[in-house]
Amino acid sequence: MIQLSYLDYSAVERKSFLHRLSPTLKIIGMVVVLFVIVTARNLPGLFLLYGILLTLFFTARVPAKIFSLTLYPLIFAFLFIFLSGFQIFFILLIFLKVLCGSTGVVLLLACTPYPSIFSALGRVLPSSFVMALFLTYRSIFILLTVLENTQNALYLRGGIQWRHPWRSLINISNAFGHLIIQGIGASEKMYESMVLRGFDGKIHYRGEQ
Amino acid sequence: MSHIHFPDGVLPVWLWASGFIVAILIGTLLLRLTKKEELTRRLPLLGMMAAVMVLGASVEIVPIAYHVNLTVISGILLGPSLLFLATFVVNIILALFGHGGITVIGLNTLVLSIEGVAGYFLFRFFWRLLRRLTFAAFFATFLALAISTFAMIGVVSLGTSHYEELIHQEKGGIIGFEFGKEKETHPTGALPEKEVNLKRFISIILPLGFIGWVLEGIITVLVARYIQRLRPDLLRLTG
Repeated sequence: MIQLSYLDYSAVERKSFLHRLSPTLKIIGMVVVLFVIVTARNLPGLFLLYGILLTLFFTARVPAKIFSLTLYPLIFAFLFIFLSGFQIFFILLIFLKVLCGSTGVVLLLACTPYPSIFSALGRVLPSSFVMALFLTYRSIFILLTVLENTQNALYLRGGIQWRHPWRSLINISNAFGHLIIQGIGASEKMYESMVLRGFDGKIHYRGEQ
Repeated sequence: MSHIHFPDGVLPVWLWASGFIVAILIGTLLLRLTKKEELTRRLPLLGMMAAVMVLGASVEIVPIAYHVNLTVISGILLGPSLLFLATFVVNIILALFGHGGITVIGLNTLVLSIEGVAGYFLFRFFWRLLRRLTFAAFFATFLALAISTFAMIGVVSLGTSHYEELIHQEKGGIIGFEFGKEKETHPTGALPEKEVNLKRFISIILPLGFIGWVLEGIITVLVARYIQRLRPDLLRLTG
């Protein structure tokens, strides 16, 4: 999640053919990728899709550092090994579906600024829901800053020590409590400043009439 | 453990589509029932708590593939209806980071909402009964997580025949995987052996889940106590 700001930076600052493509087209492309993932039941088809997504990933000049994000969902996929009765075909099928989905989504986020994605979604979803999405995304960045400061303070004061697990757990929980209280305080301030700027229950995106 | 980490294309279409339909219906109903001014006023709080849940879910305890959901504490602070909308948003954002498939958003919203709503009511019940924050928060979290884990297992078991179908699709595989594999022949009329081992899956999930329930119970207690010390008004405890 810490890489979120880097992902956002890549979406705004980098320039490639995929960055220049319309957000609606990219969302449609993601829907097509999802359709293939849902319907494909053979390995060559999924290998081909993964190959295409990887080619797009590296030709769109997305920073290689972000690539690790696409591998993250594999942590959970290992549970399927137990469900499948160790069938190699099934395991590979699942792993490829996981990789195709995550690569597609990371590619979309790394090439499209989030206000553009939410603006496109706002055409089909209720405005309050899209606003909740937007505010959550915005809040993640606020909380990441608080989390980073709290984490630094904890480390500097020796708050997390594996030799003292109970003390560390209390400190980690207090950090979450601190995060929640700071977050609620920030949300109250955010609402007040939004009202002062003429917030009327809907967020208007640049370019909207 | 209760969050369904299934990627897209594993669950049968009827199952995830039903999840979406039910989640959208409940979401629409709640949006209609909540007063617009009230919703607008509390949206920043909803967004902030959803962000807390997203951050909690991103802290992975790798050896047991567990992450805290913080759904119960969010439920206590937000109330049942806002919690449902928050879990919907959380699942969309988590799915965008490959944390569970996009098609599973509806089912995940339902399972996590069961957890949060059960946690909210259980917390109120135990608080009235015991008047001790530590016990009320721990038992509410532990039971809510147990309920939602069983709900998740129920959802997973509904797709058993579909997973078997997927496993037996192997004839469409590539040569490399057929190499060195003996051809299986089933006698005429005999049923193929069941490949999907749901019992094994449950026997892996429940012990790991148990560790997670206790851990998240303790974290929720400590977080709730911290909030009670600094902002007791947020917990809205009576008496």
